[in-house]
Amino acid sequence: MASITLKNLSKRWGGFVAVDNLSLKIRDKEFLVLLGPSGCGKTTTMRIIAGLEQETSGDVYIDNIKVNKLEPKDRDVAMVFQSYGLYPNMNVYENIRFPLKIRKTDPKTHDRRVKHAAEMVELLEYLHRKPSELSGGQKQRVALARAIVREPNVFLMDEPLSNLDAKLRVSTRAQIKHLHHEMQVTTLYVTHDQIEAMTLADRVVVLNRGVIQQIGTPSEIYDKPQNLFVAGFIGNPAMNLISGKIKNNKFETETISLNGFRTNDGNVTIGFRAEDAIIQPNKTRAVKSNKISVPVYSIELLGDSTMVSFQISGSLISIKAAKEYSAKIGDVVTICIPISACHLFDSDTGNRIKDTL
Amino acid sequence: MNKKNSWLNILSLSFILLWVILASVPFLWTLWGSFKVESDFFSKQDWRNAIFGVRTIIETGGMFTTNGYEGAWIKEEFWRAALNTGIVTLSVVTISLTLGTLGGYALARSGFRYAFWILIAALIFRAMPHITLVSGYLLPFFELGLWGHLSTTIIVLVAINQPFTLWMLHSFFSTIPKDLDESAMVDGCTRFEAFRHVIIPVMWPGVITTGLFSFLLAYNDFAITALLLTEANQTMVPKIASFLGSAQEQGNVMFAVAAVVSATVPLFMLVMFFQRQIVSGLTAGAVKG
Repeated sequence: MASITLKNLSKRWGGFVAVDNLSLKIRDKEFLVLLGPSGCGKTTTMRIIAGLEQETSGDVYIDNIKVNKLEPKDRDVAMVFQSYGLYPNMNVYENIRFPLKIRKTDPKTHDRRVKHAAEMVELLEYLHRKPSELSGGQKQRVALARAIVREPNVFLMDEPLSNLDAKLRVSTRAQIKHLHHEMQVTTLYVTHDQIEAMTLADRVVVLNRGVIQQIGTPSEIYDKPQNLFVAGFIGNPAMNLISGKIKNNKFETETISLNGFRTNDGNVTIGFRAEDAIIQPNKTRAVKSNKISVPVYSIELLGDSTMVSFQISGSLISIKAAKEYSAKIGDVVTICIPISACHLFDSDTGNRIKDTL
Repeated sequence: MNKKNSWLNILSLSFILLWVILASVPFLWTLWGSFKVESDFFSKQDWRNAIFGVRTIIETGGMFTTNGYEGAWIKEEFWRAALNTGIVTLSVVTISLTLGTLGGYALARSGFRYAFWILIAALIFRAMPHITLVSGYLLPFFELGLWGHLSTTIIVLVAINQPFTLWMLHSFFSTIPKDLDESAMVDGCTRFEAFRHVIIPVMWPGVITTGLFSFLLAYNDFAITALLLTEANQTMVPKIASFLGSAQEQGNVMFAVAAVVSATVPLFMLVMFFQRQIVSGLTAGAVKG
């Protein structure tokens, strides 16, 4: 069991900054997800922790021991790769056994440990197959078994689900969550998929351009995005954002104006989630809200709900309605944006404006 | 439709047949003729004598004679040349493959830009005629007393062959995903152990194919071996050339013919033996993880 501490970690390739002065503490037994768009430095961070990449500056500690100079094999981490990294010349059994063999653990325990690991990922019946005879999901389970077989201090997972099809992704995701619960090993998981991050993580770290944007539990990240990047990245659909001006507690753009923002004047961007706004309110006068009349831009049935979108001041706004809702494109409807559901961001710095409303 | 297809089949079959004949007749002709006497194989009266061996029966009393082989292997000590070829080829293949796998792997995994320039330089050296390497070095070799040794020849042949092995192995290594080395390293290997336990087993077809080409280069070389070796430690190919050069001596041409056949047989066996690996090596996709 181990904690991981990153202190002022940076990685540069020539002029390109992949990781910029990043500090982070991953607690013992925690499931931490590094989330960000491609090229944000999340994989690089993980590879530095694994020892596969040399940091430009900064320190990595595993269990308070500085590991900067240690080879990957001496860091006692196990890693699962996006493209599995299975050894094609060995069968499943030998693949899972390889870390035990190369680390010269007691050969008498090998069979028991390999079988135990294979059982945990439900692979027992495939032990004698070659990787080329397995499906993508099975391959990734072999990679998982190979990682858990020697009971390492830390699991590193580099987008392990992104080569799988949508259905398998859901079941393998559940399996990973279950494994972590069973084994209680510190896990660092890298992904660009926010649903994976939301469902798996104890805490999520949102990264952009090598800089941490926000650290928090999935609900903190979802409910209180610290800046415009996180607001626009998290959620499906992402948070609706409209930029405008606050003047005398009134939010104004060229086309709309909303009342009741008790904050300083200035350029702000308001954000609200698709599920927080309401279309055609009937008896909601009690709620302190603002009504706008706009034409429907598009309407999409999602199965469990209907997504209606509008164009307001140049931004595409999505609002979730009941699945029975129906309207035609071009119909002018009234939408209601409750002030209490609005997030305020400073348009210039992008940061959340605190203690508002 | 059926008729058209059968015509096409006949046409393609006859092309294949024609090609097989064109390719194999010279070999079979030489093999058959190597068991005849010179006046049959190089008959001035009737070319069919080479097939039926009229003079062979008159001169030796049998349909076939092994005089050519005896003369070459025993009288002219062709076995010495065969042994030298063995030493040279084995050394060249071993050294080229050792340097080539290590270098090719390093170049394939190196993130540095100079790796590219090393490969380009290798390509340029590969493009040069073999003889250029020798002509410049011939005088220093004489003066330093390096001329006429098998080891000098081996080094020169390795130098000629190395760019090619580097290129070939580099491209094989490039098809092996980097994840494989990295998962091995996280699993507990050093860089070298990852190379030995994980990469090389996957690389076998590539190593064998490259090894075969190195073998052929060393085995078939004439320019270098003819210039750098003395009469006493010649390899097979220059030895055969010297048999042909002394053709006015009775029987020596047949020594050359017998020696040619002797030198060809190991090649056939080699290709037959490694054909599976060679095919999968040449279709490099088979290496993918």
